[in-house]
Amino acid sequence: VNERLRDDLAACGAAVVDEAPGYRVTPPSIASLGRAVAVVRAWKVPLRVRGSGDQPVRAPENGVLIDLASLDRIASVDGATGIARVEAGCSLSALEAAARRASCTLGPLLPSVRAGSVGAWLAGPTRGERGVPGSRRETAALSVAAVLADGRLAESRAAPRSATGPDLDHLSLGGNGRLSVVAAAWVRLFPVAPALASSWRCPNLVTAVAALERLCCDRIAPARARIVAQGDGTRMVAAWEGPETAPMERDRAVRTLAAMGCTVESDPGAGEWVRAPASGHPVEVDARWASLRGWSQFGEMQTIGMHAGGAFAVLALPEARGAEECAALARAAGARVIAPRRMRDPGPHWDAMGAGAVWKRLIEALGVEEGAP
Amino acid sequence: VVVWPNDLDHVTAVIKYAAERQIAVVPFGAGSGVCGGAVPVRGGIALDLKRLASLRIDVPGRVAEAGAGLNGQRLEELLNAQGATLGHFPSSIYCSTVGGWLAARSAGQYSSKYGKIEDMVLALEAVDGTGEVLHTLDGPSAGPDLTQLLVGSEGTLGVITSARLRIWPKPTEQWLRGIKFPSVHAGMRALRAVMRAGLRPTVARLYDPLDTILAGKSGGAAMTVPQPLKWVVEGAQNEALRVALRAPVLLNRLVEALPAASLLILGFDGDSEDDCAEEGEAALALCEAEEGEDLGPAPGEKWLANRYKISYRQSPLYSAGAFVDTMEVATTWDRLETLYDAVRRAVCSHAFVLAHFSHAYLEGCSIYFTFIGLAGKPSEEVARGSREDAEQDLEEAESRYDACWKAAMNAVADVGATLSHHHGVGLSKQIMLPREHGEGMRQLRALKKAFDPKGILNPGKLLL
Repeated sequence: VNERLRDDLAACGAAVVDEAPGYRVTPPSIASLGRAVAVVRAWKVPLRVRGSGDQPVRAPENGVLIDLASLDRIASVDGATGIARVEAGCSLSALEAAARRASCTLGPLLPSVRAGSVGAWLAGPTRGERGVPGSRRETAALSVAAVLADGRLAESRAAPRSATGPDLDHLSLGGNGRLSVVAAAWVRLFPVAPALASSWRCPNLVTAVAALERLCCDRIAPARARIVAQGDGTRMVAAWEGPETAPMERDRAVRTLAAMGCTVESDPGAGEWVRAPASGHPVEVDARWASLRGWSQFGEMQTIGMHAGGAFAVLALPEARGAEECAALARAAGARVIAPRRMRDPGPHWDAMGAGAVWKRLIEALGVEEGAP
Repeated sequence: VVVWPNDLDHVTAVIKYAAERQIAVVPFGAGSGVCGGAVPVRGGIALDLKRLASLRIDVPGRVAEAGAGLNGQRLEELLNAQGATLGHFPSSIYCSTVGGWLAARSAGQYSSKYGKIEDMVLALEAVDGTGEVLHTLDGPSAGPDLTQLLVGSEGTLGVITSARLRIWPKPTEQWLRGIKFPSVHAGMRALRAVMRAGLRPTVARLYDPLDTILAGKSGGAAMTVPQPLKWVVEGAQNEALRVALRAPVLLNRLVEALPAASLLILGFDGDSEDDCAEEGEAALALCEAEEGEDLGPAPGEKWLANRYKISYRQSPLYSAGAFVDTMEVATTWDRLETLYDAVRRAVCSHAFVLAHFSHAYLEGCSIYFTFIGLAGKPSEEVARGSREDAEQDLEEAESRYDACWKAAMNAVADVGATLSHHHGVGLSKQIMLPREHGEGMRQLRALKKAFDPKGILNPGKLLL
């Protein structure tokens, strides 16, 4: 613990707490955050950021934990355009509540994501991605304001798409706060619309997953779905949320799935059931459809962010079997575990893409720490 | 020197050779870019990738792996032969390549449904500035998305050699309509309502009043084009055109005095006529709420039949001594009207301006401005004069052209919109990059150092 480092951090206007073996710093503003990051980088001590993709509870040894909890302001919510300006430490539940007041929503999110902050969502393993109409997935970040190593703030233009070079937001998205620290963002919102759900009885889990994949390939992906193996087959419920499109897409799904051996059932409780928390000790994964088809025939699955290639899924096993077993089975099927955090798969990273040397040069050029995110 | 590599090994060999000797390497697809991104401003090697034209199609897997040099129209025809489509139809489809699309973040006419090229790409193969081959992953991975850092890099970070792209079954049915609005602003509100409702039209193109007159001449919304405007848009009478372009403010005011009607071309496609019509009717109802008037299918069918022709109609204007250029910018819905008005106001004293809104999203839209201004003397007059006169004429023309661009780009930056939606940056827009990216320029330079430590890849672009 270095007293001079502590003094420098305190001079940033942030609250500094000894949290052996390092310091915990809580900046009250983005400007203060910038100054604190610059101090840490100048001292070349380890930095971790709580609420920016990572949720460490302790400061790193001889390093600094920056806690974004005080950066929790929602500057604006524009329901007509469907965007919100929000600081990184704001909880997603608070943002969702504000969005709802403007007749908007963030849409379905993984439980671990929904329990965290905006920064943790964007810089975390999902890169802020969620399903969008047309069976695609895209990040919710319309624009990211990120603190660089010297404390300056880089902020992209808030435009739906841009062609002004590489998308620099992707240095922050999924970066775990390693290349830059997400300070604020413009977040995309969907219009709120009542979900329309339907229930099917499928021969087995493989068929049910194949049915969801087919819907995605036909560009009528539901907003969320739940599949549970039951004694007399597999129950699948899917729900659509587009204001104008939900009834159309649900009707088309009923026609499509009839040809796949899935029988639509009358189920007034389908809308509630599809949103119910997973049972047991679930894990959250990002997976291709082939991996999801390989999930336990006796298990449970909830899917969101569905696209033609795969989905985010919450996977659970019956009889309260442990999350470790869940995670092992998911990995064996080829899925990437992203929560619980202690079980998160660290890769594949850039070195698996032939870009290990690029990564090393990049962290040097940006003046940040060694190591994979 | 122009080099035509046959395969990935050739590309790596060329880049390693160039890196050892500090020779610039400029990737080249088909040269359709309008911003000068493929111009080798520092000489060196023009790496023409047209021979990298492989294609593997997996229809059940909804994936195609295409070589960077594959021509766009050829790709679409090969996909169509197997009942598939990429859904990417840029105006340049006959003279552009997969690699060029990716390098500049291209958008096609059906982007509101299928997305831009960055939405279609699943993974890339690229060679960095040291000659190392990068294979980005199609599927879950950790850390920043390497694919999205390479897409749009305009050849400055790596040479894209192939791409894995999402493909879709080719739709068999299409629903097309023209819808007339009392003003372009009413049309914008309707377009936003359609997108916010979750509908995904294949085509959604809103034309401002002058563009509407041009589009409606034989499409059902018949209106008469006043003569001075006819001179400009048809470029048929050289001297008359030049007289008109000497007073762009008056020309633009003339447009404002025209009927303010705006035309929206709206289309949906799918595998069933009923499904297309169902979505179309839902969109139509939203348009009617903004006083949209259904003109039937004729305007849409006319647009479909002529959709690639506009780029080939500008030569008479050039010969007559005019410049014609386009600027495609984008912003969120809340700033769209401000952006439209601000650019028109900024440019009106430099050039004649028309615009359409052609790529719509949940949160916003792009605006495609066309500027027609006085460049210099007609080509035959230049040919008859002295060299000094020609040089002076060119200098003055460039000065007028630059002033027009500068005014337009500053207006875009002032509104907070992005300077490019799908043409890229190239040479013409890079001067404004610091305003676009601010401190992000340092991130851009860091990326350059990481991917191309010797600085050989397309030097002089993106201010790198």
